[in-house]
Amino acid sequence: MFDTYIAYITKNSIFSIAVFITVLPIALTIIRKAFLDQSLRLLFCYLIIKLAIDLVMLHYASVRLNNLMFYNLSIPLFYALLSGMFYFKFTARRQKNLLIASIVGFCLFSGWDIVNSNLNLRDMNEHRIVVYAKTVEGILMIALILLYFYEIIKSLQIPNLLTFPFFWVCSGLLLYYSSLIFVAPVLHYAYTWKNPQALGMAEYIPSIFEIICALLFSVGIYHYSPKDYAKQ
Amino acid sequence: MQNSEELKWALLIASLAMLAMAFCMIAFVMYYQKRRFEEEKKISDIEKNYNRLLLDTALNSEETERRRIAQDLHDDIGTMLSLTKLSLNQLGKLVANSGDEKEESIMKKSQSLVEETILHVRRITRDLVPTTLERFGLMEAIEEFIHKLEEDNNLIIAFQSNTEEFPRQGQKLELTLYRIMQELVNNAIKHASCTKIDIVLEIDEEMIGLRVTDNGVGFDPEKIKESNLAGLGLLGIESRLAIVNGTVQYEQPAKGGSSAIARIPVNPASGNKPEPLHPFRRERVNI
Repeated sequence: MFDTYIAYITKNSIFSIAVFITVLPIALTIIRKAFLDQSLRLLFCYLIIKLAIDLVMLHYASVRLNNLMFYNLSIPLFYALLSGMFYFKFTARRQKNLLIASIVGFCLFSGWDIVNSNLNLRDMNEHRIVVYAKTVEGILMIALILLYFYEIIKSLQIPNLLTFPFFWVCSGLLLYYSSLIFVAPVLHYAYTWKNPQALGMAEYIPSIFEIICALLFSVGIYHYSPKDYAKQ
Repeated sequence: MQNSEELKWALLIASLAMLAMAFCMIAFVMYYQKRRFEEEKKISDIEKNYNRLLLDTALNSEETERRRIAQDLHDDIGTMLSLTKLSLNQLGKLVANSGDEKEESIMKKSQSLVEETILHVRRITRDLVPTTLERFGLMEAIEEFIHKLEEDNNLIIAFQSNTEEFPRQGQKLELTLYRIMQELVNNAIKHASCTKIDIVLEIDEEMIGLRVTDNGVGFDPEKIKESNLAGLGLLGIESRLAIVNGTVQYEQPAKGGSSAIARIPVNPASGNKPEPLHPFRRERVNI
């Protein structure tokens, strides 16, 4: 079994690095006690769940089983956790209400998209990636990040962005979702069990930026200091 | 097959373009934020300088006004009182020759009242313009101030310095230190119910330190600031210090009472020796 994992990891090194790199921000969160901050606590939850799902998917992939169901199910969960971070960052009640509405709306939409993309849900072997949900998730996340950037510029409360943890987190997410937004809808058609299509370099870009995103998370968490917790 | 290749390239280009936009967005936020902070800092510096200038002008006006009043007291009232005293002396001789004891007694009382008034006018004049400070320097002025206070109050005031010859400083700096010392000592007498005050004046190559410690009831400066109870005295000290780039720190010694430490960067007096105040000059004084 161990050999199977090693063989899969060696063959798909970029995808595998994207899985295991998540350990770095998790470890840093524990070391720097970043979970004291409400937003970074949600990020910590996201990282742990992501690592768990990625490991399960890696196991399924290495034993040649269709793992896309986990990918689909992770979409609303990840959006809820990642966008939830902004709930603690936005100050206006209206923005918070809109955020909650978007989480509820997106969860319903992605549920519909899973059903819509897989007419026979019981057939796990032929399970396919959702058509729209991942793209919509990307658009919503980018919109939230840009709104947050606008708030940062408007409020002028952060003197140095380079030492502000959440700025690094947002930058990582912005890059990751930007790299994914055009690739995501194509995955539905490319990742089929019987007739998979290779997407070339475009296939690797989201994974490369998933690694970069994890590294940027790590930089942000590294800059977190528990003594500044009250100030943030 | 060709379509598939085109799709791959289109995906790659679109993703790279999106990434380039994301990078630009991050760079823009960083740049714009930095620029706005710089602009805010510039505005804040301008406001700070303007406030400092206003404060400086206000304090200059106050000192000029004090000098003008002192000058009027000395030149007009002082002269008139001296003349009155001379006249009374002449009149006193005439009354003494007449041999009327009652008239002589009234005359002596009048002479004594005039002399007392002259002393009061002199004291007020010196309080308004610390002539000793300008003539002899800070140490002598503080010693004189302490001497006068000890006469009037049942207080023990100790003064010490880490140097015997305190080098002369710029006129503004000396006056600032003197006024702060006056304010701190007056505060201790008025509010602290103390019996002993220690004044320490220290100088090193860069800074002058003035510490005033009393054994009174003490106070918590943070609470006073938070509750907006800081009176004009404490605010005045901070305003005066802001003009000479000084700082003030309040402490509560373990043995009780309170302690205030003012620190000001050294600013030695220029070669010109300050001109004596007497006779008072009418022109505006530069402090």
